[in-house]
Amino acid sequence: MAEVIEGEDLKRLGEFTFKEVSKRVDDASVIASLILERMVRFSNNSITVTKKNENFEVFIYLSKDKKRFLGSTSNLKEESLKNFIDKLIKACESSKESEDYTPLEKAPLPFSEHYNFDERIAKGYVDLVDLANSGINSALKWANRVAGSLLSLTNYSYILTTSGVERDDKATQITINIRAFTEKEISGHGLSCSSNSRGLDVEKAGREAGEHALNSKRRGNWEEGKYEVLYSPTVSADLFQHIGYFSSAYAIEIGISFLVDKLDSKVAVEDFSLSDSALVYGALNSRVFDDEGYVSGNTKIIEKGLLKGYLHNLTTAKKFNTKSTGNAGIIEPSPWNLIVEGGNSTYDDMVKSMKKGLIVTNNWYTRFQNLREGAFSTLPRDATYLVEDGEIKHSIAGLRITDSLPRMLKEIDEMSKERRWIKWWEVEIPVLSPWVKVKDVLITKAEG
Amino acid sequence: MIELLNFAIDKALSLGSEYAEARLHTITGEGMNLKNGQIEPGISIDSRGIGLRIIKKGALAFGSTNLLKKESISSIIEELSKQAESSLNTIKEKVELSDFKAEKANWSCEEKEKLEDVGVDRMVTLLKDLDSNIIEGAKGFPYQSRILSVSKSVEEKEYLNSEGSYIRSRVPRVGFTSYLSGVYDGESFTVTIPPGYSKLGWSGGWERIERGPIFELTKEKAYQLTKILASKVKMDSESVDVILGPLISGLAAHESVGHPQEADRILGREAAQAGESYLNPEDLGKRVGSEQATVIDDPTLEGSSGYYLYDDEGVKAKKRVLMDKGIVREFLHNRATSKKFGTLSNAASRANSFNREPIVRMANTYVEKGDHSLDELIKGVRKGILMESFMEWNIDDKRYNQRYVGLECYKIEGGELKEPLKHVVLEITTPKFWSSIDAKGKKLEFVTGMCGKGDPLQGIPVWTGGPHLRLRGVRVWQR
Repeated sequence: MAEVIEGEDLKRLGEFTFKEVSKRVDDASVIASLILERMVRFSNNSITVTKKNENFEVFIYLSKDKKRFLGSTSNLKEESLKNFIDKLIKACESSKESEDYTPLEKAPLPFSEHYNFDERIAKGYVDLVDLANSGINSALKWANRVAGSLLSLTNYSYILTTSGVERDDKATQITINIRAFTEKEISGHGLSCSSNSRGLDVEKAGREAGEHALNSKRRGNWEEGKYEVLYSPTVSADLFQHIGYFSSAYAIEIGISFLVDKLDSKVAVEDFSLSDSALVYGALNSRVFDDEGYVSGNTKIIEKGLLKGYLHNLTTAKKFNTKSTGNAGIIEPSPWNLIVEGGNSTYDDMVKSMKKGLIVTNNWYTRFQNLREGAFSTLPRDATYLVEDGEIKHSIAGLRITDSLPRMLKEIDEMSKERRWIKWWEVEIPVLSPWVKVKDVLITKAEG
Repeated sequence: MIELLNFAIDKALSLGSEYAEARLHTITGEGMNLKNGQIEPGISIDSRGIGLRIIKKGALAFGSTNLLKKESISSIIEELSKQAESSLNTIKEKVELSDFKAEKANWSCEEKEKLEDVGVDRMVTLLKDLDSNIIEGAKGFPYQSRILSVSKSVEEKEYLNSEGSYIRSRVPRVGFTSYLSGVYDGESFTVTIPPGYSKLGWSGGWERIERGPIFELTKEKAYQLTKILASKVKMDSESVDVILGPLISGLAAHESVGHPQEADRILGREAAQAGESYLNPEDLGKRVGSEQATVIDDPTLEGSSGYYLYDDEGVKAKKRVLMDKGIVREFLHNRATSKKFGTLSNAASRANSFNREPIVRMANTYVEKGDHSLDELIKGVRKGILMESFMEWNIDDKRYNQRYVGLECYKIEGGELKEPLKHVVLEITTPKFWSSIDAKGKKLEFVTGMCGKGDPLQGIPVWTGGPHLRLRGVRVWQR
């Protein structure tokens, strides 16, 4: 049995699938993709594993008689693909008509371009082992034990839709995440993320991790209570990515967002603006079209503190009587890359302005008690510093942040001009994020 | 496909690898969602490809392709071989594997009603019935938005390694989740059934979900939650006795016993992502909990979401006693970590897809049951809280500082259950949690979770479970 794929011929795969599907349904969107993943992981100052994944996939959305179904397959033998399409159409026919059905349509605007593709990453010319070693050695100037991962990702895609869209795209990203230790439980974290290899700074990531590990050695006591908290771009990106999810019109529709019924309301301080962009230069998750073949672009979510819009696909746009923002997800619109506008402060100024505060450089495990209210807690990890009267006193450990996103947005005190692209294990949606200082944050500790 | 797998192994060995394995890994399935009584687009997946792992001069490399032909396999193996070579100069810790008994086996999970025979129409009918069930259970309470999901999948593997293992396996799985949200008496809410963003899930055929406890549970929970969501009862921060429900005892077993006893965390391999452990390699035999604290991880539990009989290194699965009457007894190992510890693998190596490397994972982690009824546990409390379920939870990356925010909570006074209240916070260290247990319930309950670990992240199906646990004198407060 012949393979549908020969080499990187996505067009052939897309056209074959589209031909098989489109003649039997009312609407179809077919995206053929190739994801090339190269990774070096390291721990205890040593490379632990190298990885190379080369995966082709076909995504299919179809509708027939207002019934809708989606599928994805990596089983690309011609007969298997035909069987998959048969099963998908049969499953769609057995499903129920949907009141939400919206025909696919072509956007009135032409596709814009993005320039987030680096041939060196795509072709595997970037020496990941060498870069990982540079990162390790950089951190070891301050620390004695280092772990982390370096990932390069290339995504080729090709779309055909019954609304007349036919378009290809390609994008790359490269990220390094480093954790350095000076003692078993004293560590620092650093990262660097870019859409091209020139933008990756492994030395800086290693240096930041190492310096935080060293600076954290002077550890001291702290008390539960309310603090001013200065979040690093890594931490603010984690918190803001949730606002991205909450701004999906689907989350609004099903009531699992604190942004329900808040359009044109004040939801943040005046200095805060957040947008989504598929195309901005440097973004890590770029694509010129969404899963419905609609033109992706830039969407204002919060502008100067006012909630200006939600992220839409064609279905939610119809429900909300507006236009798609090019964020499909067939079921659920989702953010591409989130951009937080920078403020006017510097890191140094913000630290100096703190009377009783904390600097949180990394966090994980942000979890919500009630998605509708946005109430959450999250755990600082790696370096966290206690600040008194504008000076760093010592590092602290064993704390937990309890807050809610609506409160936090209204209690942002200052933000830095400096912003960084963040994407790592804990931050799935890339966010261009600043240092952010928030007032009156509740900090607690575990008993025992 | 054995020919292709053999080709991969031979190719790797011919290029100088001392070890090679190939895993053809297929996952097919369908999921259906119901939104406020309306069917959402269904989702069908067919994921199939080969994962390849080699060790060359002590360097480990992993790769995958879904082009199932010799040229693609050959190309990936050549690249892995080069990668391994290129990393040799900087490898300070060579990867070696512990001994094991290579076996040939073909195992599967019992599937009375084949999932492939269950059409979309039956999934839709089930969802609509469950939705009606929830509305009926709510008795007029406004669950204004309801998202219900059912899924079915079949995971098949064909595994071969250069030491003589050849294992074929087939595991069908079914599952149910739901989100309910709305506004009641001016307060907005989001809850899930089962609570805690969990899932009701099983390995096995359609009979597991259609003839299981799902109807009874959804209706009962939909009703119980109305009482909780209407509650305005307040409490002060205080140190009291707390009885935790099976959802929380299971999660605590998974998060604060299972994870810190994964040997790869203890050795630092996951340090930069999922984290390390508060335990050290020499901590086997250390007391962490009371005599009541016995925690098991058992992949061989029939009907469980984490069910398997051989792991993804071909090692035969067995029950693992992680904590025995409060003593740290056993770490979870693959063949590489067990070699470092001078022991044998206890078959904890799992990968969630063809394009992910097998790493140390849990399967079905639970607290061993005791001998008390829930009434007996409550009667033994003068002043306290029953925290039956939760929504928010988290734990630090060394698995020491954990927190659960209760969803269904009730005051206990004088050995009797009193009014419901919500958002009670238990924030406690791992030793304090496990050493505070003085009695356990005799009914064991499980839910399904997707455990996240690895880089790239791998979500893998597990069961978490336990009985009710009674903790003496712990601090709780209300959010």
